[in-house]
This record gives sequence, C-alpha cells and structure tokens, in this order.
Amino acid sequence: MNNSQFPAARKSGLVIQEMPDEVLVYDLNTNKAHCLNQTAAKVWMSCDGKTSIAEIADSFGRGANEDLVWLAIDQLSESDLLENEVASKFKGQSRREVIKKIGLASIIAIPVIASLVAPQNALAATSCHCSNDNQCQNPPNVGNCPTHCCSGVGTCNSPETAPGSGICPP
Amino acid sequence: MGDLKFCFESFGVSVAIESDSAEILARAVATARSALLENVRVLECDRAEQRFQLRDDGAGLFSIIQNGEALASNDPPDFRFWKYFDSLVRILVAEHAKSVVFVHAGVVGWRGGAIVLPGSSFAGKTTLVAELIRAGAEYFSDEYAVFDNTGLVHSFPRKLSMRTSEPLFDEQPVTVESIGGRAASEPAAVKCVLFAKFEADSAWNPEVLTLGQGMMEILPQTIAIRQNTEFAINILKKAIGSAIIVKSPRPDAVDFARVFLEFVDNKAF
Repeated sequence: MNNSQFPAARKSGLVIQEMPDEVLVYDLNTNKAHCLNQTAAKVWMSCDGKTSIAEIADSFGRGANEDLVWLAIDQLSESDLLENEVASKFKGQSRREVIKKIGLASIIAIPVIASLVAPQNALAATSCHCSNDNQCQNPPNVGNCPTHCCSGVGTCNSPETAPGSGICPP
Repeated sequence: MGDLKFCFESFGVSVAIESDSAEILARAVATARSALLENVRVLECDRAEQRFQLRDDGAGLFSIIQNGEALASNDPPDFRFWKYFDSLVRILVAEHAKSVVFVHAGVVGWRGGAIVLPGSSFAGKTTLVAELIRAGAEYFSDEYAVFDNTGLVHSFPRKLSMRTSEPLFDEQPVTVESIGGRAASEPAAVKCVLFAKFEADSAWNPEVLTLGQGMMEILPQTIAIRQNTEFAINILKKAIGSAIIVKSPRPDAVDFARVFLEFVDNKAF
C-alpha cells in the first residue's frame, strides 16, 4: 500500500479539541498548536490509512477534486500531523499558485491550517519585572519590554544611555 | 542554609520558602502573601513541591534560587529584588496551578458577565481596564484571568499597576476604589473576549474571530499551556466558547472604553 495514497492521521502525542467548524490540535512534542479549518479537519479525520485520496475527495461530493485533498495533505504533512511524511504533489509550485488553481475549480473552502509555537511559560507571563539589567537583555523580556535597562522600581523601562543601545546608566 | 521555612499551598500548588535569615523570610512571606492576594494556606513542609531559597552569601549578597536555579541577586535586597520575587511567586503558582487556568489578561465585569482582554505586558491592559471601570464596569483583574474548571472567570483584584509616561512607564499601584470602581465578588461567565493593542491614531475596527481563531490568540497568553496542556485547552474552550471574540487595534482608552461597551451591549448580550 502506498502511504502517499493512503495517508494516516497521527494520533499520539496530540491534544485534539473539536470545535464548531474547526479542530484545534496541540502537538505535545513540539509545543505547536494548529487550527484546522473545516476542510482541513475533514481531510485529516478521513486519513485512516485505508481510505485513498481519491475516496477522500469523493466524500466531499461534487465540487471537490483530488488537488484540494492534496493541498490539505500537503499542509498536514508539513505540520507533522500524519504518521508518515508525504511527498508534496505540488513540488515546484508555490502554494499561492496551487490555491489559485484549486480555488477557481472548487466550491469547497480551501483547506487552511494556522499554526503557532506556544511560548515558554515565562514568555506568556512576561511582566518586564527585573532585578538587574541582564534580565532586560535576555528572553523573555528583551523585545517585549520598553528598554534593555532595569529601573529602580524593578521593571525593564529605565532609559538607556542611547535609546536602543542596551547601554544602561550605572 | 534553609533552616527557616514557610510552606504554603495556593491554587493547588505547594511551595516552600527557605532562608537562613528570619528578617528575609518574613519579608518573603509577606511578599508571597501579597503577590497571591492572600490566597495562601499554610502547609506542612514535607508536602511542598516547589521551592524558593533566599540565600545570603555572608557578605550581604542575597540570591533568589528557585528549584535549585539561581535567578537573581542583590546587595542588599532592594525594592527591585522584592518586586522580582513577587513576580516569580505569581508566575510559579500560575504555571503549576492544578484547579484553575491563569491567562495573562485584564478582566472586567459588565452586566453580570465578564469581558476578558488578553495581552502581554505593555499592551495597555491596565489602562483599558481602568477606563472600563470609570465607565461603570466591575473590576476583576488587570493581570490575570483565572478560569475554574467550569469555565467561569474569577477575580484576581490586585491593585491596578497604572503606568506613567514620565518617568518612563513607572508603575503606580492604585486601588480600584480610588478610580471610582469596585471589585467583583462573584465569578462570571465570559461574554466577550477582546484582543486589542493600543495603536495611536488607530480606529476601532472589530474583526469577529471564530472559536478556533480565538483559541489560537489566547494560547500564547496562557501561562500553563506547556505544563498542563489538555486541562488548559479544555477550560479555555469552556470559558470562551459562548463568548463573542473580537480583534482590533484600539485608539486611546478614554475614547475607546464607551464605544467598546456599546459594542458589547449590542453584540454580546
């Protein structure tokens, strides 16, 4: 059986939360969250390792074609949500070109997977609090707080010798 | 080192604070109590899972050590040292809380429901919360939305950290009463979630998000997302699943607060 033609959805190491018209998938291995729109979610849930891409396309009824399913498979594979990596069918073409081509021919919404990496706990809790200048010059505060210098009241907001320089007054 | 100890439980997290100085320990305990708004229950120390040590090197240099990792030192412990410790205690409890989920957000009560304003520091949460209070909203928090396992949001009403522009972003803690408001006493269901960051000269242009999009926006502000993923995601879905979720840049909070509350009245109730 060709894995590319009979893709299997990955189930382990994931937290899956179904929502109206979307599925949220959190990858515990990489701390990445993915939001699958309805089309991407339907394709992913059809990937049981026994159903072919052509059959998945058929399950959408009229208005869908195999390229639409391949576009979803492509993104699912990129997001590491399939058991086996699947070679892209659209090698050499940009996703924009593919979407344009499929979009014109399909009445089904284009599959979309939005992804983000969940921040380190401290980043979520960035408070810009500090006890010395170093803490303002390193994650999670650097880039998130007004300056690189720790003020007398314990936040990274003390004026720098020259703005943006990271050089703090003694 | 560490002969003197104080151990407590807060939101399901058991913490030990140790020091060899009675004076430092007393200040640390007072700071922890204040950081957690007195949500502290004294505990037997053999049950503590998390540990802070405040160590004196003998020459007056004090260090904060959290679970074996040195995080800061000061000579002598000054305001910054204690403020940093206050922040560490809150983050530790928020990160390991077992019964609730902490999200970095401002929260106000409005017409019996709650409005949640997720955002990181310096996004203007406190400023907007203060203006919403001046427009009649109840105060829940300017820092954390605390969701219980039914999805209701609880107040975490510390003093509001109002920032001044001169000197640069200095913090001025004020009570909610001093700005004419009052703190909520009951948990509430979330009616609206607003993802907004202050942008000068911007216009209120709300984009209504799907639940999935809203979840993706709120996850980065969820303190325990990596530690307690499944629990956090379940609770967040319950908490915001019935709310209207919107995203927009926002203009100055003074002008924006009433416009936004009108929007909430029309769309969320």
